[in-house]
Amino acid sequence: MEKLMQAIYGGIVYGSIFGMMALGLTLIWGALRMLNLAHGSLYLVGTYIAFTLVNILKVPMVPALLIAALGTAVVGFGIQTLLLNRILGKPGWDVGSLIVGVGVGMAIDQSILLIYGPRVKQMPPLIPGIFKIGRVVINYNYLVVVAVAVISLVLLSVFLSKSRHGLAIQAVSQQPDAAQLMGIPTRTVFLIVMCISAALAGLAGALLSTVYQVQRESGANAMVMALVVTIFGGLGSVKGTIWAAYIVGLLQSFLMVYLGAGTALPGVFLFMMLMLVIRPSGLFGLGEAQRL
Amino acid sequence: MLKVTDLEAGYGGSVVLHGVSLEVRDGEAVVILGPNGHGKTTLLRTISGLIRPSAGRIEFDGKVLSDMSPADIVATGVVHIPQGDLPFPELTVLENLLMGAYLPEAWKQRKEKLEQVYELFPVLRERSRQLARSLSGGERRMLALGRGLMSNAKLLMVDEPSLGLAPFLIEEVYRKLHDINKSGLSVLLADENADHIAGFADRVYLLEMGSIVGEGTAEDMLKNEALLAAYLG
Repeated sequence: MEKLMQAIYGGIVYGSIFGMMALGLTLIWGALRMLNLAHGSLYLVGTYIAFTLVNILKVPMVPALLIAALGTAVVGFGIQTLLLNRILGKPGWDVGSLIVGVGVGMAIDQSILLIYGPRVKQMPPLIPGIFKIGRVVINYNYLVVVAVAVISLVLLSVFLSKSRHGLAIQAVSQQPDAAQLMGIPTRTVFLIVMCISAALAGLAGALLSTVYQVQRESGANAMVMALVVTIFGGLGSVKGTIWAAYIVGLLQSFLMVYLGAGTALPGVFLFMMLMLVIRPSGLFGLGEAQRL
Repeated sequence: MLKVTDLEAGYGGSVVLHGVSLEVRDGEAVVILGPNGHGKTTLLRTISGLIRPSAGRIEFDGKVLSDMSPADIVATGVVHIPQGDLPFPELTVLENLLMGAYLPEAWKQRKEKLEQVYELFPVLRERSRQLARSLSGGERRMLALGRGLMSNAKLLMVDEPSLGLAPFLIEEVYRKLHDINKSGLSVLLADENADHIAGFADRVYLLEMGSIVGEGTAEDMLKNEALLAAYLG
């Protein structure tokens, strides 16, 4: 019983975090047909902005989170306007956008190494302290992380499905030609998507800096899990991605609790492979044409 | 209101339109007739800005469209209903219609416009909560027309409204288009056969191999069956 509760609790924490990372990735895939390989580095930008603000400038945690999200969105804005807009709509976008992602990712990772050095750093928790339900230890900090993640996922879903600009993002993703014929300025939509996606990655990075240690490798780890979740949920599908985030989160947590931490990652990858054999376009995949 | 002069356009290196000139006046219904693959779709896509012309000029109400973005062209009131309808498959019928009113001016009047569209196409009201991909071919055509009408269109350009529909549905689509035209909207329509221009079109252009090879009032064109037969087979 305790094991079960422990596993579910862990699954919800992981799922919320994966969801934030993966949703940004899937939005960019949906709108721009680009696999943003710099997504993990944007996560790091958020982490290190939060670290700089909290540990060096002694800014309180809540404004630091907001500034980290905004600051990462500005980086996304720069990537779109300075780099991606130059190759958008031209032949070779598929490969070109991958190269931009790898290049930007390297530039960010190495800049962080230059500025902050190779040493692993530590951040204080958002709210310290724990409480227990039975023998399951609940960490206040994790609860805050889950709450912020869930709130941002809900807000984003409402924005995408109810507002004029949110619907326009979906329209551009589903049928770009028709979207243009409705008067939707596709380049502006791409820019908005890139900023939202970057802000989510930055917020995830800042939030998780209070959970994990602050180190450069965490960006790549976050990117890998986000990729697993997006592929699992069907690239480009918002609903599928959110479901997939919690399914993968729960799976990882159950494997950890019942079979040991070492089985978690191999188990998740095995599950993803099986899933791709059975449903090649993912859980809620939008069909052949939109797959990688 | 719409004036196209010596338009040249194509894809990549290949030129499809060789100096096309045509005109649509206020409140007119104009039909471009021509066989498949002779440039009707290219012409409409060039007017709506999806394809950049390599030469020539497109004017609408005194504004030069030839170097505007598609979004700015829609804002002038030239609205293109594309071949194959191109609905947003994972959005509901209602959301599809709302996207037709995306531009700020139209968005402010979206409630009234929605009522008008539902009045004209009652089936869309019944289906409003359904995903667009679940619609039948006829319903999709109605959705495409309705979505176009949600904008502040002054000129509606419709590419092959009869494509892939059963004959009784084609009749219905043309009746709706006739009503839309009579309500004051200019219509520029592309089609590959002359079956439906009687009672609908004011004027007709014949487009062959990317050039206008004939022009006249609908009555003249229909009388001149030899000409139509020669071009349309």
